[in-house]
Amino acid sequence: MAPTRLASKPLGVNENLNGMLGHGITTRSKQLASLKMHKDSLKVPNKRKADSPLKDLTAKRAAFGDITNAFNKSSAPQDKDKIMAVKKVTVESKMLPTVKTIKPQTATLNGKTSKAKQLQRVATSALETVQKHFAKDPPKPVATRAQNGILKNIEKKDKQISKEQNQSQNSVKSSKSDVSGEPSLYMSALENIRSSDTTKEECKVISEKLDKVNLDDTANRSLDEETETPHKPPPGVADFDTENWNDPLQVSHYAMDIFNYLKGRERLFPIDDYLKRMNGITSWMRALLVDWMVEVQESFELNHETLYLAVKLVDLFLTRSTKTLPEKDHISKEELQLLGASALFIASKFDERIPPLVDDFLYICDGAYTLSQLLKMEMKILRVVDYDLGIPLSYRFLRRYARCARVSMPTLTLARFVLEQGLLEYALTPRSDSKLAAAALYLALRMKSLGSWTPTLQYYTGYTLEEILPIALEQNAALHKKPKSAISTVRNKYSHTIFFEVAKIPLVEDSVLTS
Amino acid sequence: MQKYEKLEKIGEGTYGTVFKAKNKETHEIVALKRVRLDDDDEGVPSSALREICLLKELKHKNIVRLYDVLHSEKKLTLVFEHCDQDLKKYFDSLNGEIDLDVVKSFMYQLLRGLAFCHSHNVLHRDLKPQNLLINKNGELKLADFGLARAFGIPVKCYSAEVVTLWYRPPDVLFGAKLYTTSIDMWSAGCIFAELANSGRPLFPGSDVEDQLKRIFKLLGTPNEGTWPGVTQLPDYKPLPVYQPSLGLAQVVPRLPARGRDLLARLLTCNPALRMPADDAMAHAYFHDLNPSVKNDRC
Repeated sequence: MAPTRLASKPLGVNENLNGMLGHGITTRSKQLASLKMHKDSLKVPNKRKADSPLKDLTAKRAAFGDITNAFNKSSAPQDKDKIMAVKKVTVESKMLPTVKTIKPQTATLNGKTSKAKQLQRVATSALETVQKHFAKDPPKPVATRAQNGILKNIEKKDKQISKEQNQSQNSVKSSKSDVSGEPSLYMSALENIRSSDTTKEECKVISEKLDKVNLDDTANRSLDEETETPHKPPPGVADFDTENWNDPLQVSHYAMDIFNYLKGRERLFPIDDYLKRMNGITSWMRALLVDWMVEVQESFELNHETLYLAVKLVDLFLTRSTKTLPEKDHISKEELQLLGASALFIASKFDERIPPLVDDFLYICDGAYTLSQLLKMEMKILRVVDYDLGIPLSYRFLRRYARCARVSMPTLTLARFVLEQGLLEYALTPRSDSKLAAAALYLALRMKSLGSWTPTLQYYTGYTLEEILPIALEQNAALHKKPKSAISTVRNKYSHTIFFEVAKIPLVEDSVLTS
Repeated sequence: MQKYEKLEKIGEGTYGTVFKAKNKETHEIVALKRVRLDDDDEGVPSSALREICLLKELKHKNIVRLYDVLHSEKKLTLVFEHCDQDLKKYFDSLNGEIDLDVVKSFMYQLLRGLAFCHSHNVLHRDLKPQNLLINKNGELKLADFGLARAFGIPVKCYSAEVVTLWYRPPDVLFGAKLYTTSIDMWSAGCIFAELANSGRPLFPGSDVEDQLKRIFKLLGTPNEGTWPGVTQLPDYKPLPVYQPSLGLAQVVPRLPARGRDLLARLLTCNPALRMPADDAMAHAYFHDLNPSVKNDRC
């Protein structure tokens, strides 16, 4: 689904708190906020978030030590109504993390343009690109970056949504009832698991017609011959691909090949215990970073594939760069958010139909980094990963496995929550993505008392229960960790009705998994 | 950039200029594609990013090889294997009709390259004669992956603004954003007919509506009976009802019956029924293909 970037973002931000808390530790966000507050106090209070749709576009915060997201209790009720009206997921307040915050970059701050100005710039540049685009040759069949223009997006949004709803009627039929009342924002996350009712009969009829018309040759292969699956599952295993043979969206013809290929590629991207080679970076900081990346994914409405790829790029970059580069060139604490933002920037350009603009990424970093820093980091990442972004992702494997096992949307969503919560776990980063996906699905099935590992699951994942159980236990341990408000984005996201509130499903003991 | 000596400009890709160049050490001829990186721009263009990433992965005899990526302050240089010409230029250089064995060989290689892309979850999305490279040995290679992308399963919505008009399938012409490997198979069908006609494009439409009419005049206007769901496509509009003439014998007179059958299976309006690349490779049309082409695996 098109990433419709709209007013979806945490309006729970209330910078006023910064003014009150503004003693002792100085953060960049705080300085900026108090600066802003001063300005804003001259204008109409409480309206600044509402006066332009553009202002709601982004979740800007520092990944660490961010207090701009702290919830102002006193004005909460009023703001909250607004939030609930616009937002799809409640992002809870962020407490001041115990980790030291990023050193304020005073230089940036002083020369900094105001938020509004910045947004204006984003908008203007978007307009300019659009204009540039149309000044050139319009009929070129390229999804150009000009189409990224935020303004254009907004203008088009309504039209687009109705169009897409129209279009997705086929594929999202059953999920439609689930999202009634909700905008189509999360269509991509809710794609329906189709049953094999796809007009197979109709297809056959038409095909036969075609055969008749084309019978000018004896060499016609029969339809049955054509639709024979090259991969035959063993007896007792549902043959998902054959059942979906005539649903082109399942790419059944190539599905088995593709997933075997992806599984084979996993070994090309090993991630190791890179933190032990680094100074000053902890697994907690990594968790904060990933939490922030999830928030960016939500606010820009990026594909989940983009998020997973970006997190992968961070881990892969740190694994490789700490091996090959001298220690002085290792990523510092101050650059960690830059790394995360650049990784999201790259992943968006690779996967998104309409990736956010570079200015959007600078904005969500709260102006902590310059354009040149971000572009340099982009190249640095690309070189370290050797331009190979075809990295197998657990999210993709999970969707395949869930479909093959005909798991319901709520159960798939629970498994996705398990996976996404696992993104925060440094200890899980070296694990194989296909195994993570299989284990998350197993854990979800157990949490919903839907039985154990089946021959069908074993066939399509290629894993026995013994192979994935250790990972499922690790994932379960991650779920059992005491929730920390500084890294609560995933939990909050999956507490929302659009995600079937799967984060609220009671946890199970390890004994349930091993029984 | 010292490693290569620029010889001449070859053309313009989806992004950036392409030069013919010589490796000063090995004297190997290569093609250099330059991508400018402006400071106030969006970093590496997403088309270049995708082309690099996808071609790094797709190593196959029928796909142009990306040797190297050179990076300097203001530009990115992609080093490709060099091919003598593209299929468009090959057509232009033909004296008289094309040899039907060449048609078969080129078509088979096109399908083999495509089957490789599709089984490695990549859609090309801009197949046309200009993007198929031919070398002296009669090898054909898919090139210009600037519009290509990796796809998920099931596929998600992608841009409907893909594929040059003449090679764009009817579902995408009707605005479909949900498409899959079948998008490339339609283009392959158009190219097949163009090959058989020594370079005369099959559906040289002037705009979307003209393009659709040209297609339906030959294949018949689809309806909910022949193509369930067609009227639900985003940009669907009722067009004059043409009866399927299926006079493929008149359209591609030199193509034998088996070839016409394969063509009809590729030029199928309903994407669900369009033949996939590896099935097409197994089609009877190729039974008498020169074994040296068939066995020439990468």
